[in-house]
Formats: sequence, structure tokens, C-alpha cells
Amino acid sequence: MHELQQPQVAPVAPPVPRGRAIVVTSGKGGVGKTTTTANVGAALARTGARVVLVDADVGLRNLDIVMGLEARVRSHILDVLEERATIEDALVADKRVPTLRLLAAAQTREKDDVDTEGMRKLIESLRERFDYVLIDCPAGIEKGFQNAIVGADEAIIVCTPEVSAVRDADRVVGLLGNRTSVKLIVNRLRPALVRKGKMLSVEDVNAILRLPLLGVITDEPGVIISTNNGEPIALDDTSPTGAAYRAIAGRIAGTDASAPEIPQEPSLLKKFGSLFGGRNA
Amino acid sequence: MSARRIVLTSGKGGVGKTTTTANLGAALAKRGKRVVLVDADIGLRNLDLVLGVEKRIVFDLVEVVEGRCQLRQALIKDKRFESLSILPASQTRDKTAVSELQFAQVIDGLTELCDYVLIDCPAGIEHGFRNAIAGAAEAIVVTTPEVSAIRDADRVIGKLHERGLPIRLVINRIRPEMVRSGDMMSVDDVCDILSAELLGIVPDDEEIIDTTNRGEPVVLTPDSRLGAIYEKIARRLDGEIVPFTSLNAPGFFGRLFGQKKAG
Repeated sequence: MHELQQPQVAPVAPPVPRGRAIVVTSGKGGVGKTTTTANVGAALARTGARVVLVDADVGLRNLDIVMGLEARVRSHILDVLEERATIEDALVADKRVPTLRLLAAAQTREKDDVDTEGMRKLIESLRERFDYVLIDCPAGIEKGFQNAIVGADEAIIVCTPEVSAVRDADRVVGLLGNRTSVKLIVNRLRPALVRKGKMLSVEDVNAILRLPLLGVITDEPGVIISTNNGEPIALDDTSPTGAAYRAIAGRIAGTDASAPEIPQEPSLLKKFGSLFGGRNA
Repeated sequence: MSARRIVLTSGKGGVGKTTTTANLGAALAKRGKRVVLVDADIGLRNLDLVLGVEKRIVFDLVEVVEGRCQLRQALIKDKRFESLSILPASQTRDKTAVSELQFAQVIDGLTELCDYVLIDCPAGIEHGFRNAIAGAAEAIVVTTPEVSAIRDADRVIGKLHERGLPIRLVINRIRPEMVRSGDMMSVDDVCDILSAELLGIVPDDEEIIDTTNRGEPVVLTPDSRLGAIYEKIARRLDGEIVPFTSLNAPGFFGRLFGQKKAG
């Protein structure tokens, strides 16, 4: 019996699936980059995607605190870059979501210690292991910013409805250039102030930035509390803010095609409804 | 007499360095002090916006350093306070355009012209931070009662100690109702962790969002609660002994804060 010989074909290596590398940046500090990274990452991972959060703020790390994982960090990004630890050693598993990992920044080193080319390679190897690599960028546009964006081909700009934040965000969009796909999250909106004309609206912000909108997060104490407690609010099924983060994750993943909802102040009727114990609120 | 040179810094961004610089500067100027505010955030300047002088910028700090204009030419006089000026940062350059030595020389030049030089430091602890502290003889660390802000402030205080700079603390955006419900650290908690001398406490008040967006220091608003707080901080900075209002004493601040101190 003759075995039918297949014609010899040069073996084609199957394409290595690469995850998406997304940098979360803003220019201005304190607008919510770290909180956004933690919550979007947690929301993506909850759907089963493999997600790694990378803290690029060497010297001023905070993502570990916001994730409540600070006590579990053994090695950090510079240990990996300087080959004192493997990537696997340095990844911290999340306590809640099985597919979520954190790569912490070094706290006692400087951003100038990070080799930009090494950082690019590190993000590349993480993309081979994860579906999403979310990079939490430091404030500013110095070396730390350069290191954070070098491996990413997508960016999320976090901006608050403040003139200074919009100006800084606009500068960062310019620095990211054309090779990066850039989308916007407007953070800490206070609808009541917008209505009174005392805060920029989402439309005002985006009239300047002109970016595709991923979502809007309102200013509410629950975010501060969850951040201080190291519990991402995106994992809280009862929180409207958590739902807003999960919707953003859906838009990033392409599973949610709905347009972002722009929070409005509850109408007077609804307010009075809730005041009188109504079911409208 | 040579001016006091004070850097306002924080580590973490967005805690209110620029707003504090603008309002303390305006409050000092209101007291008749000659004040120059220096924006050290080259590439991401904002102090000009907060003071509403962005359209009047002709020269900036980098041009002074590069000898393209005189120091006095780059200063923008505030229209509301005769004795208040601002030295803007460049928006299109980056922080490495100025060395620590050059920055310190600019600050030295300013000390002949005024009583107070307040330096608005960029976020982070990179080159821009090192520039901003190179010119200073004192530091005000601005922080908010959040774990991440305090961790960053602690790191910055360590760096300021290395330079031997005396440090005082402004705790910004306290939400009394959250402190009371145990959801926010109190002023005492923050002072304990950072073990630095307290200069002022500023509550989270939406008034500041509006005035900042409009480029109007809140000390200009008549009867403003926040304005009064910044004026108290300025008096303290100026050497007056201004007690922190006790919570236990009945009165406006006591009711407002529901904790030990205010102002």
C-alpha cells in the first residue's frame, strides 16, 4: 500500500497571536489614569480576557495600591528589564479575577533608569502572553511618558472637564502622532455643574480634542472609596460607575457597539420622585 | 532684601499645585507683598490659564534662559494685583531645555525684584522636578487625603529632605462628610504619616472648578469661603500665627469640618 505523499510545501509558521497594547495617558496628572487602568483592566479580565496591567510610573508607583496588591509585589519592572527576575516571577496575580495580572513599577528607582528599547521589547513579550496589555503612564511628557508609549499602538486619553486638563491632553495627542489610535474617556464629570454652566461639558471637551469617545465617568465618592480600599469599582455589580467602566471595556473589546451615554443630571421630576419615595429615580 | 523662594510640589499630579500657587500668590499680593509666580512645567504649562493671562504671553522662561529676552520682559503683570507677576513656562519645548543651574539662576534674578517667588513644580520627580527645587529655599508640599497622593508626597518629602529644604504641608480637597463617615483620611492621619508641619487645609469645594476655569483666583471673589482660607494660609506663610479653627469650638468651620482643624 502506497501512502499518498502530500506535495512538499514550505512550512508556514502560524501567526503568533498578539494582544493589544494600550497606553492610558493624559499629560496632566491626577485626572484618573491609574484608576482608569485598574477599572478598565478589571472589567476586560472579568469577561475572561487575559489582561496585564503595567505600571510605568517608576519612582511614584500607585497601581499596586489601587488594585489592593501592594503587599504581594515581589519583583518589579526594572527587575525584569535588568534580568534579575523573569516576567513570570514579576507578575502579580489579582485576588479577584483569575485572568488579571499586575506588573508593578519600581518605587525606589528613577524613570531615567528605564531603557526605552528594553521597555518596547518587554511590552512585545507581554503581548505574546496576554490579550490586553494596559500601560499606566506617568503624568507629564518626560522620559517616563516616552517609556510608557513606546510599546503601545493604541492610547486612551483620560481627561477631566477642566481647561488645563484639556490643554495638556491636546498636547499629548500631538506627541502620540499618527501611528497610535487614540480614544477618549472623560472623567469626573459633574452633570449638575455642567447644567449650571460652571463646568465644561463632554461636547466642550471634545470640540477641542475631537477624539472617538469611549465613555464618560461621573465624579462620585464611590470611586475614591474603592480606590482607597484597593477594590476596583468595575467589579461592583451594584455601582452605576462600575457599569460605566464595564461598558467602556465592551467598547474596547468591540462587544458593545452602543454609543457612550453622557450622564445628565436627573430631571426635577425624577428628583422629586425619589424624594417622595417614588420608583422613578 | 532678598525674596523668599518657595517651591510648591506634590509628586502626584492633579492634587492642586497650580491652583494653590495661583491663590497663595494672589493672597500674598493682596496683602501688599510683591510676588512672582514661576511656572516650571515646561511643555505642559497651566499657571497662565489659572490666572487668566494666557493671551498676554510674549516671552517665556526658556527664552530668558537662552538670552533671547530680559528677565523683566518675560514677566506678565497681573491686571488685578499690581504687585503680582507671572513668569510663564514655554509650551512647545521640553523640560530638558533648561538645566538645574540655569533654572536656579533665573530664580536668583527674580529675588531682587520681589518679596516672594513661588515656583509651581510639574508632577513627578523627573527633570522638571529637579529644576523646580534647584531654585528653592523652602517647600510647600500639596497633597490630598488619598493613599496614592500621600505615598507620592512621602517620596517627594524624602527628596526635599536630601536637599535640606524646610517643608510645610497644604492638605487639599478634604471632604468633611467623607472623613466623618470614615471613607477619607483625616488631616491628623495625613500629618501623622508625613510628619511635616501643617500650613493649611483646603476643603473640596466646587467653587474652585469654576474660578479656575475662568482664570480668576478665588481670593478675588467677595465673601468667598475658599478665598478666606487661602488668605489665612498666606498670613501663616508670611509669619503670622493664625490658629487652625478648632472643631470643638462652635462656629462656621467647626460645623463645616466635623473634625479637629480647618483653615
